[in-house]
This record gives sequence, C-alpha cells and structure tokens, in this order.
Amino acid sequence: MTETPSPTTSMDDHARPPGDLAIWIFICAELLVFAVFFASYAFTRANHVELFNEWQQHLNRNYALLNTLALITSSYFVVRAIAAIRDGLRSTSLRWLLAAIAMGALFLVVKSMEYAEHYSQGINLRTNLFFMFYFSLTFFHFMHVLLGMVILGANAAILSRGGYSPENHRGMETGGSYWHMVDLVWLILFPLVYVMR
Amino acid sequence: MSETFTKSMARNIFYGGSLFFFLLFLALTFDTESALPDRDNRQAITEKVALGKKVWEDNDCIGCHTLLGEGAYFAPELGNVYKRFGNSTEAIVGFIKSRPENGIPGRRSMPQFNLSDEELEAVAEFLKYASGINTNNWPPNIQG
Amino acid sequence: MKYQSQAVAKPYFIAAIGLFVGQILFGLIMGLQYVWGDFLFPEIPFNVARMVHTNLLIVWILFGFMGAAYYLIPEETENELWSPKLALLMFWIFLVAGALTILGYLLVPYAKLAELTMNDLLPTMGREFLEQPTITKLGIVVVALAFLLNIGMTLLKGRKTVVSLVMIIGLTGLAVFFLFAFFNPDNLVKDKFYWWWVVHLWVEGVWELILGSILAFVLIKTTGVDREVIEKWLYIIIAMTLITGIIGTGHHYYWIGTPEYWQWWGSIFSAMEPIPFFMMTIFAFNMVNKRRRNHPNQAAVLWALGTAVMAFLGAGVWGFMHTLSPVNYYTHGTQITAAHGHMAFYGAYAMIVLTMISYSMPLMNGRKAANSNKSQVAEMWAFWLMTVSMVFITLFLTGAGILQTWMQRYTDTPISFMEAQSKIAVFYWMREIAGVVFLVGLLLYIASFFIGRNDPEAVVTEKVAAE
Repeated sequence: MTETPSPTTSMDDHARPPGDLAIWIFICAELLVFAVFFASYAFTRANHVELFNEWQQHLNRNYALLNTLALITSSYFVVRAIAAIRDGLRSTSLRWLLAAIAMGALFLVVKSMEYAEHYSQGINLRTNLFFMFYFSLTFFHFMHVLLGMVILGANAAILSRGGYSPENHRGMETGGSYWHMVDLVWLILFPLVYVMR
Repeated sequence: MSETFTKSMARNIFYGGSLFFFLLFLALTFDTESALPDRDNRQAITEKVALGKKVWEDNDCIGCHTLLGEGAYFAPELGNVYKRFGNSTEAIVGFIKSRPENGIPGRRSMPQFNLSDEELEAVAEFLKYASGINTNNWPPNIQG
Repeated sequence: MKYQSQAVAKPYFIAAIGLFVGQILFGLIMGLQYVWGDFLFPEIPFNVARMVHTNLLIVWILFGFMGAAYYLIPEETENELWSPKLALLMFWIFLVAGALTILGYLLVPYAKLAELTMNDLLPTMGREFLEQPTITKLGIVVVALAFLLNIGMTLLKGRKTVVSLVMIIGLTGLAVFFLFAFFNPDNLVKDKFYWWWVVHLWVEGVWELILGSILAFVLIKTTGVDREVIEKWLYIIIAMTLITGIIGTGHHYYWIGTPEYWQWWGSIFSAMEPIPFFMMTIFAFNMVNKRRRNHPNQAAVLWALGTAVMAFLGAGVWGFMHTLSPVNYYTHGTQITAAHGHMAFYGAYAMIVLTMISYSMPLMNGRKAANSNKSQVAEMWAFWLMTVSMVFITLFLTGAGILQTWMQRYTDTPISFMEAQSKIAVFYWMREIAGVVFLVGLLLYIASFFIGRNDPEAVVTEKVAAE
C-alpha cells in the first residue's frame, strides 16, 4: 500500500476528481456549511421579506458585480495555469497563477471598501437580521478567498521552484479545485443576497 | 483509493483549517466585546454588586442553582429571581436569611450561610444586576 | 513494554481508577439527594457532593491522560521518557494536592475554604468545575508544565510520529486553555464568555485530539493496519473537530448576554460537531475489519470500539438534540443537559482512558500481549455493565428532561422548578438504580485486574492476512 501520488494525471483516472481526495472531503464540508447558511438566509428572508427588501437597497451592487467579474476571471486564469503546466510551460503557468491571485486580491480590496462604507454609516453585524446575514455570509466568504489565495500562493511558490511537471501537478489541481469552490459559492451568494427581491 | 488521499494533504487541512477557524473565532469575539456594553448591564456593576458576585462565588451558589441557565440543576434558576420575587431585593434577602440550619425534612434543602447584612444585600444586588442582562429573552417564562 | 520508563504510567492509572470510584460514590449520593432532598444535609450539602463528583472526574481523567501519554510517547518516539523521576514526583504532588482539595471541600464550609486558601488575593473559586482554590489551580499549572516539559523533551529527542504530535498538541492546548480559569471579571457576561474557553475548547476541542491520538495508537497496536492509513484518518478527524468545534463554541453563547448572531453561527457549526465523532466510529470499525491479525487483547478492542460508539451517541447525537438554538431556548439548563453531559463524558473521555488502561496494563504487568481469558471475560462484563447502565441513566434523564422542559418552559401554564422536579421523581429513582448497576460494573472492572491473574495469557489463532 504505497502512498506516493499517482504518476498519471488525475483526469486519466476514471471516476476521480482532480487533486487530492482529502481536499474534496474538505470542499464538501465547506459547501455543506454554506448550503446551511444559504438555506437559513432564504428561510429567514421568507419570514422578513420587507426588512430584507428594504435593507438590500443599501448594498452596493456595482462593487458586487465587479467582484463577480474578478472571481470569474481569476477562475479562468487558474484553468489557464493548469493547462499551461500540463504542456510543460512552467513560466507561462506561473504568470497565469499570479494573475489569478491578483484578481483575488482585487476582490478583497473591493470588498474591504464596501465594508468601510458600511461601517462609516454605522452599519455592522448587529444592525439588524438582514445585515447579520449579509456580514456573516460575505465575511465568511471573504476569509475563504483569503485562504484560497494562500493556497494558490503556496502553489505558485512550489511552481516557481520547479515542483510541478506535466506528469505531476496534483497540488495545483488541488488548489485550483478549492479556488473554483470559492468562486462557485460567490456565484450563489451574489444573486441571493444582492439581487433577488 | 489510498493514492488519491495523501497524509500531507490531510495534515495541511488540519493546520490550515484550525488556524482559519481560530482567526474567525477571534474576529467574532472582537465584535462581541464591542457589542457587550449595550447588552451586559455593566453600568449596574457597583462595588456592592461586585461584592455580591464574590459572595455568590464564595458560597458556591452555582453548585445547586443555574444562573442564566448554567450551573447545577438541583435548585431554581436565579438569573430572573429578582423579577420572580416581585422586583424585590428584600424578598431575596429574606429568603436566604430564613433557610433553616438543619434543612427541611425530606426536601431539597438550602444551607444557612450565616451571611452578614452587607453580604445579603450585596448578593441580592448582584442578582438584580443579573436580571438586567440582555439574554435574548431567555428564560421563556418567569419560572426560569 | 518496550521501554522501562513506560512503567510510570502504572501509578497514574491506578490513581485514576481509585478517583473514579470516589466520583461514582459521590454521584450516587447526589442521585439520592435528588429524591431524598436532605440526605446527608447539612454535613454534605448537594453542592459539596457535586463539586467532589465533578472535580474527581476531571482529575481522574487528567491522571488517565498523563498516564496514557507516559505510556505511548516513549513507544511512539522510540526512546525512554526524558525524566521518569519528574513524572513520579509530579504524580505524588498532583495526587496529594488533589486529595487535600477534596478534603477541603468536605471538611470545611466552602466560604471558609476560600478564606483559608487566600482566595481574595486572586479570586478564581466558585465557578462550575473550577471550584478549586486558586493555589490548587496554580499547582495544576505547575504539574501541567512539568508534564509537558517531560513529554516534550522525549518527543524532541525521538522519532516524531503523527500520533505523538497530535497527542502533544492536544495536551498543550489543554494547558493553555486552562489559563483562562484565572480570568474572573466582575462582569458576569465576560466571566461566562471566557469560562467556555476552558470548558468547551477542552471537551469539544483539544481533548478530542487527545482522544483521537490514543484511539489511533490502540488501533495501530491491536489491528496491525498500516500506520500511514490510520494517521492520515486521524488528521482528517481532528481537522473536522476543530473546524466545527471552534465556532461551535457559539452554542454556549445563545442566552448569556452575548449578541444574537451567535444563535446562527453556533447552531450551524455545532450541528456539525457530530461529524468527527461519526468519522471516528466508521474509522474504528473499518480499521478493525481490515485488521491483519487477531490481537489477544480482545477486551482492549472492545473498549476502543465502544468508545467510538458511545462518544458518537453521547457527544454527537445527544449533543445535537439540544444544540439548535430554537430547541435550546426551551431545554437550556434542564435534565436534557445532564443526560447529554453524562453519556458524552463517559463515552468519550472515561472510556478512552479505560481503553488505554485495558491495552497497556497487561503489558506493564509483564504479559506479552494480554491478560488471561478469565480476566478479559470479567473485564468485558464490566464494560457492558457500565456502558449499558450509562445508556439507561441517559435515557431516564432524557425522559426527565423532556417532561421538565414541557412543564416548566414550553407549556402556556408553566409550573415552578421545584414542582416540576417533584413530578419527575420517578425518573430520578430509576436513574439511581442504573447508577448502582454502574457501580457494580466498576467494581467488577477493578476485580478483573485480580481475576485470572495467575492464569496463562489468552492467545488467538493467527488470521490469514487479507490481500
């Protein structure tokens, strides 16, 4: 029973997701938490429709749209990075990866600006039930973006030291999978919290 | 299946995940600390109330009673006893003072602590202070 | 027993079992006081019996954890313990300090004990589970630091395995979080908030790391399954523990004066706290199924599997039953809490210590692998008596709790606490009977160390290794 990673790319193995299976256990757990949070939000909103509709107007949809574009773009960059390393183009891959991280950083900056605006108006986690959910959901997601960037950063560091090859880049697939999850969560969060009335 | 799931990835998830959630917990703690002044009735903490808390602890009241639902389950909840006794510190003092030395035959008995008048008033003030804490409407009714 | 110094675990385990008996005797006193209200009053009022019961519990489990560490760390790190002498010295200091503290509780009114021990210099007494005089608490810190130094040096000098690393992280966390016991502000809300940083982050946090590493150790030894497999699952389990349990602390912050958002954060995360216990159950059974050998110490295997199941039921299932805030609003501070607490503590922590004792004691007594058949049979009877009676204790208290919650909290015409208590007395009588059976099981457990002592070791036919 060896523990060395499979020498073939995971896409060639049948019925196995890319990257380490452990991260998929973690991803499932994360999605479970977010799902429960989203369900709680939806359930609560159904009982407080007017409150939620009213305070939703205080959110900055432009910032959120910008953030959506940033995350989608960064996921695309991650895909390009993995495609590049599969072709053995290490420095190209690294550039795409760094670009993805930069898009993540953009997300964090924009989100922080949003929070700053709220705080300057005296709005925070305890203002009312809507904002409790808004801040909880977005801050929890914010921290996941941060964690995702740390993971991609680790990928970038290993990549720059020549740690990945066309045959073995499971770590990048692992990090990429996690990043895609973070993106996916936002793609649900954005319409649910910012748009749907 | 064992090749797809490495020990080092599991280790990274443990360290990373624990750190992540510990930081999140600290953030929520920080927010809670900023929220407390409007909720914890601290403006009612006089020297007498502080003495009352000490009397409460020195006699291990928590060993039989619950306070805000926490403690022992032998005797009634005291977080709202001030209200239950008709918003009266005298009633609380009277109750504690009147506990028989040798208990009530066959029934759950509260010791006679032989507290001074100062200590009695202090612990009653402490319980009055406790009843003013914003507990999100807990307990569900006056019985505690 | 591969290393001579592992033998220091023996006195720790003997003390643990002795204190366990004391804990149960006082539990029975309390159980009787529930229905015969002034039993032993005023000499031993309920709160004194309670602090003896709970403090003995905590101390015997701590002795158990330390014994477990002294046994498994040298074996895992493949070198002798750094200082067996220090371990023995700390044993006596802890035992004497503990005994004096318990005697203090029993012989002197609590307020007088506070005065005698100069509590006013740094008041830390009078909180649940933290009733110890401040000087005792300081003593605990000294003992803990010496203990960590001892196993830390042993680890540094030896092979670093995942089992030993996780064990030491858990034990260090135990020591660090205990420091919050010294924080006792006048502000009751803050007092309660940080009190849980000791209690929750212990039993629903770092203690689970200790539990997991001991379980992994025993499974490695008794099943022969590849260490790599067991260790990687250990990481996943403890990852899920802290991922759910840290924010899960919020399930203690619903009604104590802290903001309402804890009802959401606490409910969501603590609802997932059963997951690591569920994983531990699957893990334990899976490893035993995949075993490469039949180990002669079947009693130890039974304890290991039993621990996983009872921890899942007591901590996981019973915990879940009252963890969601809409439910907890009505059940907070009722017999539901007591029901969950008893099965959780027994299932997770009492049983893992007994698992370790079951595995290691025969080896420390000179056996090659296990006790005699006769001895193991007695031990397994003790396992079933204690475990099944604990299930009944829990069921009876759950029944009591449901009725209490209905009558005192939920109904539109609530009755007083004392009235409700008298109405559920029948459950308390039944609980007491189950408690007596538990004591019988415990006494049989002790007897099992002497039964069949001179009989030959149990042996099993070798299982054909599955390929």
